[in-house]
Amino acid sequence: MGEPHSRSSRLGGGPEPGCRPSPPSQFELFFSVGLVIWEEGAGGWSNMQCSTRRMGIITDVHRRFLQLMMTHGVLEEQDVTRLQKHCYKVHDRNATVEKLEDFINNINSVLEPLYIEVKKGVTEDDGRPIYALVNLATSSVSKMASDFAENELDLFRKALELIIDSDSGFASSTNILNLVDQLKGKKMRKKEAEQVLQKFVQNKWLIEKEGEFTLHGRAILEMGQYIRETYPDAVKMCNICHGLLIQGQSCETCGIRMHLPCVAKYFQSVSEPRCPHCNDYWPHEIPEVFNPEKEREAAGVSKANRKSLRSRQH
Amino acid sequence: MPRGQKSKLRAREKRQHARDESQGLQGAQATEEDHGMLPSSSPVLGDSPPSSPVSIWQESERTPVIPTPAAALLYKKSDGGVESQDEESPSPSQVPTPNKDPLSRKVTKLVHFLMEKYVMKEPIRKADMLKIVNKKYKKHFPEILRKTTEHLEVVFGLELEEVGPSSGFYALTSQLDISSGRALCGDMGIPRTGLLMNLLGLIFMKGNRVAEEEIWEFLNMLGICPGRRHLIFGEPKKFLTKDLVQEGYLEYRQVPSSDPPRYEFLWGPRAHAEITKMKVLEVLAKLNDTVPSAFPDLYEEALRDEAERAHARVVARARNRGMANASSKAMSSSSSHM
Repeated sequence: MGEPHSRSSRLGGGPEPGCRPSPPSQFELFFSVGLVIWEEGAGGWSNMQCSTRRMGIITDVHRRFLQLMMTHGVLEEQDVTRLQKHCYKVHDRNATVEKLEDFINNINSVLEPLYIEVKKGVTEDDGRPIYALVNLATSSVSKMASDFAENELDLFRKALELIIDSDSGFASSTNILNLVDQLKGKKMRKKEAEQVLQKFVQNKWLIEKEGEFTLHGRAILEMGQYIRETYPDAVKMCNICHGLLIQGQSCETCGIRMHLPCVAKYFQSVSEPRCPHCNDYWPHEIPEVFNPEKEREAAGVSKANRKSLRSRQH
Repeated sequence: MPRGQKSKLRAREKRQHARDESQGLQGAQATEEDHGMLPSSSPVLGDSPPSSPVSIWQESERTPVIPTPAAALLYKKSDGGVESQDEESPSPSQVPTPNKDPLSRKVTKLVHFLMEKYVMKEPIRKADMLKIVNKKYKKHFPEILRKTTEHLEVVFGLELEEVGPSSGFYALTSQLDISSGRALCGDMGIPRTGLLMNLLGLIFMKGNRVAEEEIWEFLNMLGICPGRRHLIFGEPKKFLTKDLVQEGYLEYRQVPSSDPPRYEFLWGPRAHAEITKMKVLEVLAKLNDTVPSAFPDLYEEALRDEAERAHARVVARARNRGMANASSKAMSSSSSHM
């Protein structure tokens, strides 16, 4: 009991108190926004601090960012940068907004001892960068556990298995619903199961396309580790990035697979795309590399169109 | 090559078997072996580097961390749960696990649990928290809870507090919305909100003097108690009775003719100089979502205070002018003698 373990506080974001012209008032100390944490050799919880660990400095800017990332679950990169700017605006107006990558690395160094991470991924269908606050210590679908009942979780697991076993990375609604009798927990009817599947889509665990279901980027980020551990034989890998692959293109000759965004990048401006493994002609359409600028332009154009429409109607 | 039906079936059986083994796992931490290295990404079984499952581009700079024995350890743990591994010394065949002390791991587990509760906006039952921590560590629970609370505050700006005394329910609230109003007033003395403002407000409300006991009662509600070192201003009693007094914001004196001696707090000279009762009332009103005139007695007193100050300013200005005139007269008369 008594004192919490020693932790030096670097107060305020500016010069050390000693160099100021007048001693800082108690209030300025009270409202300081900086805190250095994870000081080396702080006693007690010995292995939380490791001398190889970087020191992270986080302020209310980072805390607000984390709170918002937590509540949003998964966000696209442009929303994340907007979020970051918002946090600076609220808590530290005059500071320069740090580059997103460094900002996140800084936060992650602080989250490290807690086995949490702001993880970056890419959507499998169109290569959009996404971010999620991920719990690294899970070995199950525990992230979903608080939202869903036992039978619902089991439905998800069944759908997950079908998706992983499939060739296309998609499982048909019919096939999933046929497994409804095998679910653990309270008995679920097919009608109910349909609604549960929709719930998964709304919460960004599954994506639906023409009556078929595949994993949302969020599920891949959050459960990638669990999937690899639970289905080590069935799981597919991308030949380019060596990451877990659910949706992608495959070579018809040798069977290797690639993510759509990996295909896009690998074959960008290549006139005759060939399989990197067997050199056979790559038979599929090469998608475009995701370009955030184009997205913004398109959004701008559609906005302008809408505006002119409105004005014409008057 | 697309897989045949038989191999798929075999794979499924294998999977079922593996899953049954790992049923007992809860929050198994496969990253344990990485402690001391840079555990940036989740470890991967087999020989593929642990890139984030869907992207190459971000993970490429990080050191790959691939302890394959991790898989074996993961499945070995299924009997008796995660804890058993910590207490026994690692068998020579296993990768030596860094001794991440079990209490730290409970803290981590509890932090994860509470994060979920925060997102779901669900009430937090003490019983549930105890379940997470496990009966074995029940006597360490206060320490674990304290450490968890600290992490939540420092890392996420979330405050964990019990809802009412011994209700068995806890709540997580964001501290940021309160403190974001407390922007540092660069050039000014007193920021518009904050502990001191609360104290000055309290003193003003109670008729310009408050007994020490009442101040502590109030501060206890904020979780500030004598002897309990505060993150920012240190030991609270010293902060109030020495630091703030030295700064001139508070006056701390013995209640006249009190036996046994009791003490009270008043506004200090610097408080009088830097802030007005009206300003304090404005802040109080704002915090309570109302207007100063909602507190008629205090409002009257604040108005009187304003009037007195205005009067004092006029007098002071007149005196200064008078002095200036007098001195200029003196100067001109002296110069005329030159």
